Amino acid sequence: MSEMIDIVVDNKTYKAKEGSLLIDLLIKEKIKVPYFCYHEALGADGNCRMCMVEIEGQKRPQISCDTFIKANMKVHSTGNNIEKVRRDILELELINHPVDCPVCDQAGECSLQDFYMDYGLHNSEVLIQEKIKHTKHIDLGANVILDQERCVLCARCTRFTEKITKTHELGIIGRGDEARVSTMPHRKLHNPYAMNVVDLCPVGALTSKDFRFSQRVWFLQTVNSICHGCAKGCNIFIDHNKIKYKDDLIYRFRPRRNDEVNGFFMCDEGRLSYKALQDNRQEVTLLNAKAITEEEALLEAKRLIEEYENNISVVIDANLYTQEIEAILEFSKKIGASAYAPLEVYYDENFKDDMLKSANRGANSQTIELLTIDTSTPKESGLVINFNHPDTFNSETVINFLTHKKALNSLIFPMAVFTENTGTLRNEEGIVQHCEQAIFKNTPIPTLIETVKKIQL
Amino acid sequence: MRECKIVSSRFHLKGSHTFRVAKENGVYKSLEKVKGYIPLEIIEIIKESGLRGKGGGGAFAGEKWALMPQNSTKPSFLVVNCDESEPGTFKDRQIISQDPHLLIEGILITCYAIKARHAYIYIRGEYKPFQDILQGAIDEAYQEGLLDTCDITIHRGAGAYICGEKSALLESLEGKRGHPRLKPKQKEPEWFFGNPTLVNNVETIATVPFILENGADAYKAFGTQKSAGTLLFAMSGHINRAGVYEAEFGTPMMEYINYFGGGIKNGKKLKAIIPGGASTPILTAEEVSKATLDYETMRSLGSALGTGGMIVMDEDTCMVEVLKNLLEFYHEESCGQCTPCREGTGWTDKLVGKILNKEGTKKDIDKLLEVATTMNGKTICVFAPAVSGVITAFLTKFRDEFEVKL
Amino acid sequence: MSFHFSEENILKINALKKRYPSSKSLSLPCLWMVQYQEGYISLDAMDTISKIIDMPSMEIYRVATFYSMFRLSSSDKLTISLCKTLSCKLCGSDKILKHLKEKEVNIELVECLGSCGTAPVMQINDTFYENLTLETVDKILEELE
Repeated sequence: MSEMIDIVVDNKTYKAKEGSLLIDLLIKEKIKVPYFCYHEALGADGNCRMCMVEIEGQKRPQISCDTFIKANMKVHSTGNNIEKVRRDILELELINHPVDCPVCDQAGECSLQDFYMDYGLHNSEVLIQEKIKHTKHIDLGANVILDQERCVLCARCTRFTEKITKTHELGIIGRGDEARVSTMPHRKLHNPYAMNVVDLCPVGALTSKDFRFSQRVWFLQTVNSICHGCAKGCNIFIDHNKIKYKDDLIYRFRPRRNDEVNGFFMCDEGRLSYKALQDNRQEVTLLNAKAITEEEALLEAKRLIEEYENNISVVIDANLYTQEIEAILEFSKKIGASAYAPLEVYYDENFKDDMLKSANRGANSQTIELLTIDTSTPKESGLVINFNHPDTFNSETVINFLTHKKALNSLIFPMAVFTENTGTLRNEEGIVQHCEQAIFKNTPIPTLIETVKKIQL
Repeated sequence: MRECKIVSSRFHLKGSHTFRVAKENGVYKSLEKVKGYIPLEIIEIIKESGLRGKGGGGAFAGEKWALMPQNSTKPSFLVVNCDESEPGTFKDRQIISQDPHLLIEGILITCYAIKARHAYIYIRGEYKPFQDILQGAIDEAYQEGLLDTCDITIHRGAGAYICGEKSALLESLEGKRGHPRLKPKQKEPEWFFGNPTLVNNVETIATVPFILENGADAYKAFGTQKSAGTLLFAMSGHINRAGVYEAEFGTPMMEYINYFGGGIKNGKKLKAIIPGGASTPILTAEEVSKATLDYETMRSLGSALGTGGMIVMDEDTCMVEVLKNLLEFYHEESCGQCTPCREGTGWTDKLVGKILNKEGTKKDIDKLLEVATTMNGKTICVFAPAVSGVITAFLTKFRDEFEVKL
Repeated sequence: MSFHFSEENILKINALKKRYPSSKSLSLPCLWMVQYQEGYISLDAMDTISKIIDMPSMEIYRVATFYSMFRLSSSDKLTISLCKTLSCKLCGSDKILKHLKEKEVNIELVECLGSCGTAPVMQINDTFYENLTLETVDKILEELE
């Protein structure tokens, strides 16, 4: 029954599925229409009334999120009438909205600000003294802070805990203009995906405690990447900035939409995993816990490789890029070593859930499997060259390539984390995904590929 | 003015709410006649009678009944709307407390016609004393074996005017907050947990037995061509004999006021009347003198018949105070779902308050009219458009009183 | 600390469940039962209802805060619901309010009680008191002591 038909929007013809939602077409064809409460993952709620358009033959403007595409439909998304409607409704959204912009994290990525600039530009004319007061900066738990005054009651967050996580922590209580978002008294937001409500909230009512007051978003630069928290491979944005006198730092991860992998969301643990990436890094070459120069380290590595000829195992972390894994295999072949990539350590049944979280915490383990690298425990060898694998190894001598500090006496090379490099990885479904480099440190830490190349054999 | 006692014929009888007294005086007689019809025939009779919904909307009942499926695999339901919260309206309470068996009789006929086996009576929370009387009558009906084919369950609300809106009522009946639903694009029945449902006002259902007993023509003999029958009109405010008095449509308003109401209290002059419950645009005394109590005439005067609950105001009444009082009501009762209503009801209430406190400016009056426009035709339900109509009527007809306070 | 329905109420709930296509409809009836049993509705009671009718506690809390007749906290003083809407106001509810303010009572100003023909009107618990005058108000309060 759903065949493709022609409809006209703003005098242009578009093809759309009969019976599908008009707002989906407008979004797809990038026809600008404001909206708060509609969200592709949550469906329509019809409460903000901002997405109104004029439909020829209908007396009144209609909300496009509740309009189904019919043959011969003629839609107008612009024009004096509809623009006035939008401005008037926007004005009503603004009258009780606190002018928190100077202290609100959402500034710069706020729908209310954007719509005001695009459709409003009203003079301030509230004409009454009192705005409605509610509670500000309520710690909901799970790193989410609620400001009830800023809320536009779009119900996205409540629908998220109702329909997506099905944990029902959030709801709109009260009635009329006393209505506000809340948890039950003394209860907290508590589910593994809670922080997604911060992304969903179109204004600054729900903000991240982790990100609170840390950066103005217009200073942030954004790259596309993939979360390395598990083999799901949720698509992310990495937001980073280099402030004067500081290093280039990541300030937050945000989920990036991918209908084949993670949809619109990511888990909180993955979202916050950027912090551990930047903390406690191994930045220099070490031997016996003392700093040595890179040259000294490279020479020592060469010496050890030659000494333990034919008695070398190479161990590979399943969180490395495919390009890094391939480079290691090549290197391993060159030095006549056996390559291993033990995967057991990455399996955590407790982490798994029926949404996005995978029990397999090795982000690129699928590539390991595909390249048929030996995934069993490495047999005893004279020399183990460990490329950031989390296990500890029993052998006479170990060379460690580490992203993060570990209390070891072995020869240690620092290596870049995934955010400081580009590469690809395969998620557990075999989908190959690409990561752009986000961080360019003041003093770059070499990638393992660069270091390995420098070992003169 | 002639006597029309279609739903109020037994009100004056002592014990009229009991099965014994009501039965002695004719209740349940129509059920015999009903057995001779198939459901579709009953619906035709109701259509033919011109019966219009008495909850305020005035939609033709027969057309609504015809939307119910006759051959559904899903169970059908009847919901009787006794949420009666429109200010100035207190008629349904008379039926359920003085002739509840009449309502039960109407429910049985309606359920037969729409093939429903369960009727819910949604009653506002404040009406507990009358609910008890109604429940007593229902218990009697069960005992008399009258409810073998149709269960009746009373469902008590808890203080929310918006639950009188039929889709909000169904949300409440489903156990949720009373949020009106988005309206479908085509005509279809209402839905209760996904099952086809008919929602009708108490008085509408209470009228059905008369129509079945006496025929559609007997009903059409009362009222006007387009507004057939009678309504339990009411009067309150500055009127000598406030109360509920059944009269036929088409009765001139002043005649009704004088005949039943005994004229304005304390010999004062009439200033204005809100004709059909608070949500209908106010009429000046001059308009009242031209008005007849039927849907078409009220419409032509820019107002509406609504529930027929007339609120009478004398010459000393301050219209700014009246509007403030009404806007406080709407401010309190807005469900808060959609932006124009939630914010608009609060804002307009405060603006009129400002004017009442002599702190208003001309800009405030202009703003009031602007906000009234924004609240009209852009919301999920008709609550906000009603408020819009109220504000516009006051500011158009009594603007001088507002300007005086600036 | 924890809430339990009385035996009688449990029987009522079970009987009611049979009358609706889904037990979710019982939210309002259960909330009323709690209020009559305890005088107000606690969070514990909401959790109990939640289990009985298979509706999340948050939804029950949302329902309880939407309807104005539900009390979420207890009170010792007598609560008087005085109608403030138009017909009662036109018939002198302001005078009654002023008079009540001098008494030891909780006054709740409520919207139209559906008694406009016998204004001014107040409701105490479930009982209507109509055609109020200052004298009848005094008499009523005396009788309720």
